[in-house]
Amino acid sequence: MRALAFAWRSLTRRRGRTMLGILGIAAAGALMFDMLLLSRGLLVSVREMLDSVGFDVRVLASEGLPQSRVPLEHALDAALALASLPEVAAAVPFRIGEAEAVMGGDRPPSIAVFAIGSTTNRIWAIVDGRDLPEGDEQSVVVNERLAERLQAAPGDDIEIRGRCSAGPSILPPITVRIAGVASFPFESGAQLTMATRFAVLDRLCERPPGEADLIMVASRPESGPDAAVDAIRKARPDLYAFSNDEVIERFETVGFSYFRQISAALAIVTVSFGVVLITVLLTVGVNQRLGEIAALRAIGFSRRRVAGDVLWESVLLVAIGGAVAIPLGLALSMWLDAILRSLPGVPATLHFFVFEPRALWLHAALLAAVAVGAALYPMWLVARLPIATTLRREFVS
Amino acid sequence: MTAPAKPIVEARGVSRVFPMPAGPVVALRDVTMEVGEGEYVAIAGPSGCGKSTLLHVLGCVDTATSGEVRLEGRDVGLLSDSERSRIRLAKIGFVFQRFFLLPMLSAIENVELPQAEAGVPRAVRRNRARMLLDYVGLGHRADHRPSQLSGGEMQRVAIARAMANRPRLILADEPTGELDEATGEAIAGLFDLLHKDGTAVVVVTHDPSIAARAQRILRMRDGTLMTQMAPQMAQMTQTGKRGNEGGGHE
Repeated sequence: MRALAFAWRSLTRRRGRTMLGILGIAAAGALMFDMLLLSRGLLVSVREMLDSVGFDVRVLASEGLPQSRVPLEHALDAALALASLPEVAAAVPFRIGEAEAVMGGDRPPSIAVFAIGSTTNRIWAIVDGRDLPEGDEQSVVVNERLAERLQAAPGDDIEIRGRCSAGPSILPPITVRIAGVASFPFESGAQLTMATRFAVLDRLCERPPGEADLIMVASRPESGPDAAVDAIRKARPDLYAFSNDEVIERFETVGFSYFRQISAALAIVTVSFGVVLITVLLTVGVNQRLGEIAALRAIGFSRRRVAGDVLWESVLLVAIGGAVAIPLGLALSMWLDAILRSLPGVPATLHFFVFEPRALWLHAALLAAVAVGAALYPMWLVARLPIATTLRREFVS
Repeated sequence: MTAPAKPIVEARGVSRVFPMPAGPVVALRDVTMEVGEGEYVAIAGPSGCGKSTLLHVLGCVDTATSGEVRLEGRDVGLLSDSERSRIRLAKIGFVFQRFFLLPMLSAIENVELPQAEAGVPRAVRRNRARMLLDYVGLGHRADHRPSQLSGGEMQRVAIARAMANRPRLILADEPTGELDEATGEAIAGLFDLLHKDGTAVVVVTHDPSIAARAQRILRMRDGTLMTQMAPQMAQMTQTGKRGNEGGGHE
């Protein structure tokens, strides 16, 4: 009988203990699998979001967090200059602001305003009505939630007031016309969103014309983002250009390292739990059949064989538990993802737990380490078992 | 009584000392003996006299503290653990007082186990296991688990397992110790049969009626081999009544 079949029969002989081991590994494995999904999930999701808008290079006036960045002056001219580079297909100045709808009630709703300084739109997708008309400086597109809140439809006029400082706004409201209803990739579940041209945002907050937060650049497919970044750095050394890869790299080393650290810590805890659980179960099992093992050694089973049997038992327990852990972990990750995505300010398309094939491989590798690590002590016990002494002890007992 | 010309296993000046916290315990003292090919030897003596230790040393499951043990002329003290395992697998069959059958395997699978370990192909070992179960009179219980067998039946399966790889030496440690008298007699009959078929048998027993079946009886006391008795002497010292050779074996 092969070692694997022998180990399987040994496990099925102690069904209760085997089930306990499998369930323990399934629970720990599910948590570990989730930690693997979490460790890179946010990065993968952000990467998908960045790629989904059709721009692969971002150009800024300074480095640092968005809150501390210097505005990019003369952005329209800069965008035109960048768009003329042979590596660049499109360059769109982009600005983010905040406004409130002028309507009854104590607390007017806050609206995130995205403004672009170009006719090229790759950011939002129209679901009703039409996009911002060319040359029109009072049209806006709104998301479905804002349209519902304002009870407005394409063609309706609405009044909005800019929120350009921390205190209550004293700026006069302006009237804008809803051209269409759109969906936005970066908006959170409860966010009210509006998109318009620079001129509308300039009027709202009375900012200097042509100022932008960043320029979004689409590279030409034949050049690629890296070549576009190099060309931009050469043409405008005063600006900071980053490809999506570089943005993600920066996130990975700075912004999202917390998730990776938390994931690593929890994964270590779950792996340790799995090792301890299986070690205890196997050691108890081995100690209960020392006489049997000594007899097997006496009839000619080698040390390697009896130790191998224990290793196979560990592998089987961990493999079955690990297989159960995958659907369990996926279900758990969906639940946890839904909880995290319901937090305020989290974009609706952002996910914290994202499945990647590498998570499956890592999961398998970690479980293999659990199986081997857990089997080490009981393997040592059976390999070092003194045959004659054990048989004598069994006889006396 | 004369010793066989060609010994299968021999001990020369063998001692075995167990280091204990309270001081060393000498289990064997300068034991010299041999078992010839096809010979039937019983080792008798009171509890704790070193019978089982001698059996373990002869069977390569324990090593002598001093002295020399030779199996088919080869000094087993010089062999590695894995070499001794291979020797036990191929040349020696063990029968234990407590049977030590694997409860999750059927009778026939238990008998197949040493053959599987020796790499015998499945079909061959299955045939041999069936034949051995028939030999010990348990062909009809081949698919039964140990828990479905009586003590005597379990010991028969254990004897069939010991014979699986056609060993030239069977070592049995109190094989009837956990059986009633009638069942013990039947098991002893099986050893007679093994011996008749040419296998050397060494039985450790404290039961005089079992010992009396052997060609030679080695008596031990305090780790020392005291006497080697002829079968006639054994008959005289036999206190129990010898029963019929047990049923089941052909």
